[in-house]
Amino acid sequence: MNPTLRAVMLFSLMAGLFLIVGFGQSWSVALTIFNLCLISAVMALGVNIQWGYAGLFNVGTMGFVALGGVAAVLVSKAPITDAWVAGGGDLAIAAVLTILTIAAVVLTYRRTEKGPIRNLAITAIIVLGYFPIRLFYDPAVLAIEAVRPAYEGYLGGLGLPILFSWVVGGFFAAGAAWVVGKIALGLRSDYLAIATLGISEIIIAIIKNEDWLTRGVKNVSGLPRPVPYEVDLQQTDWFIDAVANLNDGVLAALTGTERTGVLNQLVIESSSIFVKLSYSGLFIVVLIIIFTLSTRALNSPWGRMMRAIRDNEISANAMGKNITGRHLQVFVIGSAIVGIAGAMLTTLDGQLTPGTYNPLRFTFLVWVMVIVGGSGNNMGAVLGGFFIWFFWIEAEPIGVWFIDFSTSWMAGDNPVRLHLMNSAQHMRLLIMGVVLLLVMRFNPGGLLPEVTKRFGAQK
Amino acid sequence: MKKLLLASTILALSAGYTMAAEIKVGIILGFTGPIESMTPDMGASAEMAFKEASDSGLLLGGSTITAIRGDSTCIDAAAATAVAEKQITSDNVVAIMGADCSGVTGAIANNVAVPNGVVMVSPSATSPGLSSLKDKGLFFRTAPSDARQGEVMADILKSRGIKEVAVTYTNNDYGKGLADSFAKSFAAAGGKVSISAAHEDGKADYSAEVGALSASGSKYLAVFGYADQGGKGIIQASLDSGAFEHFVLGDGMISDTLIAAIGKDLNGTIGTLPGGTGKTADMFKDMLAKAGLKKGGAFTGESYDAGALIVLAMQAAGSSDRAAIQSKMMMVANAPGEKIYPGELAKALKILKGGGDIDYVGATNVEFNKIGEVYGSYKELEVKNGKFETIKVH
Amino acid sequence: MDIFTDILNALVLVSNFIIVPSIAYGAQLALGALGVTLIYAILRFANFAHGDFMAFGTMVTVLITWWLQSMGIGLGPLPTALLALPPAIAITIVAALIMDRSVYRFYRKKRSPPAIFVIASIGVMFVTNGIVRFIIGPNDQRFADGERFIIKARAFKQMTGLNEGLSIKVSQGLTVGIAIILVMVLFWFLNRTRTGKAMRAYSDNEDLALLSGIDPEKVVMVTWIITAALTTIAGTLYGLDKSFKPFTYFQLLLPFFAAAIVGGIGKPVGAIIGGFVIAFSEISITYAYKKFLTYLTPESWAPEGLVQLLSTDYKFAVSFIILVVVLLVRPTGIVKGKVI
Repeated sequence: MNPTLRAVMLFSLMAGLFLIVGFGQSWSVALTIFNLCLISAVMALGVNIQWGYAGLFNVGTMGFVALGGVAAVLVSKAPITDAWVAGGGDLAIAAVLTILTIAAVVLTYRRTEKGPIRNLAITAIIVLGYFPIRLFYDPAVLAIEAVRPAYEGYLGGLGLPILFSWVVGGFFAAGAAWVVGKIALGLRSDYLAIATLGISEIIIAIIKNEDWLTRGVKNVSGLPRPVPYEVDLQQTDWFIDAVANLNDGVLAALTGTERTGVLNQLVIESSSIFVKLSYSGLFIVVLIIIFTLSTRALNSPWGRMMRAIRDNEISANAMGKNITGRHLQVFVIGSAIVGIAGAMLTTLDGQLTPGTYNPLRFTFLVWVMVIVGGSGNNMGAVLGGFFIWFFWIEAEPIGVWFIDFSTSWMAGDNPVRLHLMNSAQHMRLLIMGVVLLLVMRFNPGGLLPEVTKRFGAQK
Repeated sequence: MKKLLLASTILALSAGYTMAAEIKVGIILGFTGPIESMTPDMGASAEMAFKEASDSGLLLGGSTITAIRGDSTCIDAAAATAVAEKQITSDNVVAIMGADCSGVTGAIANNVAVPNGVVMVSPSATSPGLSSLKDKGLFFRTAPSDARQGEVMADILKSRGIKEVAVTYTNNDYGKGLADSFAKSFAAAGGKVSISAAHEDGKADYSAEVGALSASGSKYLAVFGYADQGGKGIIQASLDSGAFEHFVLGDGMISDTLIAAIGKDLNGTIGTLPGGTGKTADMFKDMLAKAGLKKGGAFTGESYDAGALIVLAMQAAGSSDRAAIQSKMMMVANAPGEKIYPGELAKALKILKGGGDIDYVGATNVEFNKIGEVYGSYKELEVKNGKFETIKVH
Repeated sequence: MDIFTDILNALVLVSNFIIVPSIAYGAQLALGALGVTLIYAILRFANFAHGDFMAFGTMVTVLITWWLQSMGIGLGPLPTALLALPPAIAITIVAALIMDRSVYRFYRKKRSPPAIFVIASIGVMFVTNGIVRFIIGPNDQRFADGERFIIKARAFKQMTGLNEGLSIKVSQGLTVGIAIILVMVLFWFLNRTRTGKAMRAYSDNEDLALLSGIDPEKVVMVTWIITAALTTIAGTLYGLDKSFKPFTYFQLLLPFFAAAIVGGIGKPVGAIIGGFVIAFSEISITYAYKKFLTYLTPESWAPEGLVQLLSTDYKFAVSFIILVVVLLVRPTGIVKGKVI
């Protein structure tokens, strides 16, 4: 059917699902899921740009999301002067030494011929550089982490508004992607997948263990918010009046303490919904900006060139296109978008918890979103983000309900039934896997397949 | 339509203080995750308190408490927040007994409980970092902060003449917090921590960590991990490779499953666990036995006390309103007042109904300081003949 | 004599904490990497579902072992799991063939690019992960029985009078022994039998092999059968040595890939070499050499700090760092494997 009609139908279906959750469970829950769907849609967009435009198989999304989260901390938290005083000097020296070592390695790489001498020289430089760096780095880290370790123990951040971190997160991810791309992009697709998976694990390991930068596993909580706090809203007059006006019908019938009691409840609920809607607003703006830019890029000469490279690399190479350079471009841009999503996620969470970054949820799930939604189609990626995240969250209650329903004829303490009930949450993984396999087999284009313009007769 | 729905639920809630109603309280514990062998009994203990209050018929005009269990997973902050979100906004719980692990407790408090003005009473989140939580007076815990556990453990080791230990901790804020607090206290007591290395939970092989730890040359290994996770793996690997034979355990390791898994090589191991002995502890042990639960399960006393405090605060305020519960938590927990021991909830409810004051002592000697934390007592445990025996209370 | 004892102590220390664990871990990695490399050589894609597939095979072994144990059947000092292996392998083979038939065969016929195979294997990974956790749960399961140690540290210390003990577990010995046997059998199969030669031909040059009349579906089937057997045995040995927990098998996926690539992907010898290289590096780079140096050097030179090259926090990262370095410097691996 007409792709636009299809898109409209699917998005309406999605909206319908949200309404069901809103009425059936609560509007707060529906909005929480909606916000996370928005963030997932941005992540899926980033991955789609890499896969759909250029056929790059990046399985390291988790690392870039984490880098975005680190950016949120480094931008928004106030700097901790004691820590800077204690360790800043040594750390700066270690940083300078690291830069010198890397510069030396790069120079040697460029100036010498390929062969054992070059490898030996580079190894020697790395070994000779490593020990002095450690000499300054270790005491610096110890000093910084000794500054009130239970509450702080790290360098803090820049103290800027947290919205800046969304952009900064993109830059962090872009920088890391550039390095990763330089190393890994010449490889075949499944090698690239393994390399990116490994590198993302290294990034997470660094974030978890370098307490002086990110507090590691002690987590950084209480990040400043771009939207008001619920408890503050509950005290502001204009908000209370607005709530009262909106719920006139209900309140008019009540008086005195009962009225205040009900009004209080309404204010509390509404404040929660207001805050979530504010976040939704911000996220929708970001999503629209990124989506528009991506679609314009796709339809531009640059986009056509990228797809030409993807579809026939050999011819494109023969035409003189710098394949690796272009791939690097796309890799960096796609990862930057994922980094922005990571910063958004950490802002929403209000805390950086390195321990939550696991490949299943942040990498493989996003891939399911892209494939199921429609690889190569931005609208499809967004839709995929919504659908898959929604089902990932709702799969547990639905699974529990389903198992409850289908085993209701068994006795309450039947061991099989109990086992099934306890395992309901693992249904999620199964459902996701089956969905992915089915879509790949029977509908490889996804829900909203890529729109390719053909010249001549249309079928 | 939506307004009608909103209004009717709110009316139902607010009307709770005038007539008997079903009051929902959330129990958010890690029923899956690193301490999943401890949490079922913890949940059951809290539910014991709720049942005691409901059965008495004296709570808020004959109301009953329905406990709504949620899985904090102990490690996934996003999942825990989602569960709390659902309980607070969809199930409309009036208070939360939870969470169990410090990381997710902080997440739930910061993201859901405090913004919505819901009281949280945690039975086992012990990270020192939680003391500085900006909680607007909503966060309480019946388990003491690990800042104290580090001190107690340092004292115990000093009194046994152990001057040097190697430390391994689980790589999260609980483990790191306890390790840091212990290192500080032990150094102040003249001891030496020869190495402090983290281990990740969920791995199968810890021989590298054990190798590094044993290279320190210390005879004793302090394990600040979880009994169902890396901590067990470390002990197993240490015994297998002959690296260590003497262990010191933090509270996350005190579980019968550990002894069952390791066996008699664990005899002589020292450990610390929040809790006490004496009249109140024995009374609680009897209650547990009657309810068919394991005696001496970790944090069961704290869970019972957390549940009891919530119920008593409700009664004192005369309402199950969220803000009302918060306003009375300190009052029911602290002196002055009639001392209330485990199993005496009906007595307490009666006193409160008549406008009197109580001082809830409970199974773990509850007395809140001004930020809602307990000073706490710790049991010094030693494994004798395959069981954890209490040597002394600090 | 003192220097002599010191040197002996140092040797035993290194054996106990580096050499013995590395050999055992290396054998485990080698078996897993063999499976990965075979699939890569013949089916030409990186199988992301390998780790969970191993979990599946081990799960079946564990269930059968429990059943045998409940009936009182045992194997004396050896683990009962060894008895459970043959039926478990049979079941896993069937599962592998079903999986291939329902998922991968379609893409083979379509001659899809490798990335598609990998995405499909991600789907299979999800499904297998869910099935394993559904059936046996995500927790630690113990199924080892029989003797635990070939030699215990304490006994060694008493026997030799040295300060340091050496302990070798039965499971470690079994792993190495069975790995050697399996590798010998595999190499005999690949080099001496017709089907083995057909497989190698198919791997080296698919078109020519097809022209010579080799039946591709038979080659694929035999590959899955061998991989299923290898994987089940590898997973069981790993589970006997550590313990069975589904999540850890997923985590092993990356070291397996690292081992296969470092050694030279597509070549079985490479997988074995790669396995040991990765194992030795992981353990020796993160070992703290303080005690070792204290034995070997005179008193005044004894080190204060731990002398650790990289903290154990980064143990996981070591295999990837090696992988990345190999990909940069010598992408075909140690034993020149398939060209990328």
